[in-house]
Amino acid sequence: MSDLAVSPTRTAVPPKVLRRSAAARKARYSTIKMWVGALCTGVVVVPVALARVLPLPDPVHGVLRETSLPPLSPGHLLGTDPNGRDLLSRILHGGQTSLLIGLLAILLSGLIGIVAGAAAGYFGGWVDTVISRLLEAQMSLPLLLMLLLVVALFGPSILVITLVIAIAQWPEPARLTRALVLVEREKPYVAAARVLGLGRLRIIARHIIPNILSQTLVVVLLLLAQAVLLESALSFLGAGVQRPYPTWGGIISDGRELFVTGAWWLVTIPGVAIALLVLGVNLLGDGLRDRVRRAKAVTS
Amino acid sequence: MPRYLLKRLLQTVLTAWFTVTVVFVLLRMAPGDPAVNYAPPNPSSEQLAAVRHEFGLDQPVLGQYLTYLQHLLRGDIGESFQFRQSALQVVLDRLPYTITLAVAAIAVTALLAIPLGVWMARRGNTAGELGANIATIAGQSMPDFWIGFVLLIVFAVNLQWFPPSGFTSMSSIVLPCLTIVILQVALVSRLVRREMVTNLNAPYVTIARSRGVSERRLTWRYAFANSSIPVVTALGTRFAAMLNGVVIVEVVFKWPGVGELVVDALERRDFPLIQATVLVTVVLALLVQLLVDMLYPLMDPRVRLQEARR
Repeated sequence: MSDLAVSPTRTAVPPKVLRRSAAARKARYSTIKMWVGALCTGVVVVPVALARVLPLPDPVHGVLRETSLPPLSPGHLLGTDPNGRDLLSRILHGGQTSLLIGLLAILLSGLIGIVAGAAAGYFGGWVDTVISRLLEAQMSLPLLLMLLLVVALFGPSILVITLVIAIAQWPEPARLTRALVLVEREKPYVAAARVLGLGRLRIIARHIIPNILSQTLVVVLLLLAQAVLLESALSFLGAGVQRPYPTWGGIISDGRELFVTGAWWLVTIPGVAIALLVLGVNLLGDGLRDRVRRAKAVTS
Repeated sequence: MPRYLLKRLLQTVLTAWFTVTVVFVLLRMAPGDPAVNYAPPNPSSEQLAAVRHEFGLDQPVLGQYLTYLQHLLRGDIGESFQFRQSALQVVLDRLPYTITLAVAAIAVTALLAIPLGVWMARRGNTAGELGANIATIAGQSMPDFWIGFVLLIVFAVNLQWFPPSGFTSMSSIVLPCLTIVILQVALVSRLVRREMVTNLNAPYVTIARSRGVSERRLTWRYAFANSSIPVVTALGTRFAAMLNGVVIVEVVFKWPGVGELVVDALERRDFPLIQATVLVTVVLALLVQLLVDMLYPLMDPRVRLQEARR
C-alpha cells in the first residue's frame, strides 16, 4: 500500500484512527482510481491488441445472410451491421487503428512538447519568446476547425491524422515542462553540474529531464485519452481513416443513419468502447498524478 | 484604461489577421480544385477556366491574398461560391442559432457546475466525493457526438419528448444543450473544486473560522469570492470556444448554426465562406475574452487592468 504520507511506526496515534485520516483516505482513493482505471483500460486494450489472434469473423467482408442481427445473436456477440459484418470484430480491428494513431500522436506530441518546453525553460531569452508566442498563437486558433480543414484538404491518411493530433496536443506538455524546468533550473544540483563543466544540453537531458519526467509522462498519458476522442471526432465528421478500414468514430458515423430503424447497437456499443478506454486512461492518469505529487511532496 | 483597451483591441486585430492568413494559406496549399464543384456536370476545360476566372482563382496566390486583404480592409469579406451572395451575410444569418445554443449551454453549465464543484470541495475525501469525482471524469470521457446520439435515441426516437433535429420549436434546443452541458459541467466543476480546495485551506479562512464566521459564509463569501476570477475566466474561455463552433453537436442535431455551415463549406471548398466563418467566429470569441477581462476589476478591486498583463 502507498502509505508514504502516513508511516505508522513514527506516531502514537492508533492505526484505526490513522486509517480514517484525510491523508490515508486520499491515498486509498487514488489507489481505487488507479485500479478501476487499469481495469477499464485493460478490458478494451487487451482484446484490441489480440484482435488478429482471436477467432473473429472478417471485419470488412460480411455474410449477407446475417445482416442487422441484434447483440447476443449466436456467433455474433455484439450483433452485425446491415452489411452482415460482425460488430465486435469491427470494433476490435477499428480499435487497432484508433489506438495506433493515439499512441503515435502522444509519442510525437510528448517528444515535441518536452523538448520545446525544456528548451524554453532552460535557455530563456529569445528561445522562450519564440516558443511562448507560438503556444499563445495556437491557443487563439479554433482548434477543431483547423484540424478539420487540414484533414479535409490533405486527405485522411493515418500519417496526416497522427500529425494533426500531435500538433494539436503539443502545447500541454510543453507548457508543463517549461514551468517545471524553470523551477528545476535554480536548484543546487544544476549549479553543481554547471560548475563541473557539463554542457548545457547534457545538463538538460541527463540531469533536469529525469527529475521532471514522471510528472510530464502522466500528462502525456492523459493526452492519450484526448487523442482517442479527437480521432473519433474527426472520423465522425468524415475526416477519418478511409473505410472499409473501420475506426471507432467511423463505425458510429456509419451507424448514425441506421439507429432510427432500430439498429441502436451500431451507435451505442462502439461509443461504450471509446468511453471505457478514455475513462480508464483518465482515471489511471488522475490516480497516478495524485501519487506522483504525493511522492514529490514527501521527498522534497 | 483606454490605453489598455486600445492595446487589447490591437491584439485582437493581429490575432484575427494571423488566423485568417493561416486559413488562407492552408486553403490555397491544398490539392484539389474548387471549380469542379461549381461548374456544370462534366465540364470542359474552358468551363472550368471560366469558373476559376470568375472566382479569381486563376490569379497568383500572393495576388489573391493581397486582393483579399484589400477587400477585407474595406469591410468586404467576399462572395460565397455556393450561395452567390455575401459570405458575411450567410454567416450572420446562421450566427444567432450558434449564439443561442452557446448562451443556453454556458448558463446551464454555470448553474450546475458551481454548486457541484463547491460541494465536492467541502466534502473532500469522502465516498460521495469519490463518486462525484469519478462521475465527472466519466463525463469528460464520452465522445460528445456519441452522447448526442444516445440522447437522440432515448429522448427523440423512443420517448419522443423532443424533436430529433433541426430547429422547429424552442424545445429543439434541449438535447443539443444537454449534450454540451454534460462535458462542460464535468470540466468546470473540477476546476471549481480545485480552486475551492486551495482557498478553503488558505490561512485567511482558518483565521475567519477562529473568529466564528459561519461555515456557509466562509464557503461563499470568503473562499468562493476568491475563486471567482479563475472560474469566470474558465466559463468565458469555454463560451468563446463554443462560439468558434460547437461543430460536432450542430452536425449531430442538424442545428442550423455556423458549425454546420462550415463543415458543409469545407466539403464544397467554398473558400470565401470558410474564411468568413473563421473570421467572424474568431473575432467574436476574442471580444468575449476581452469582455471577461474587463470584468476582473468589478469582481476583485485589487485588479487594475494596466497590470493585468501577467
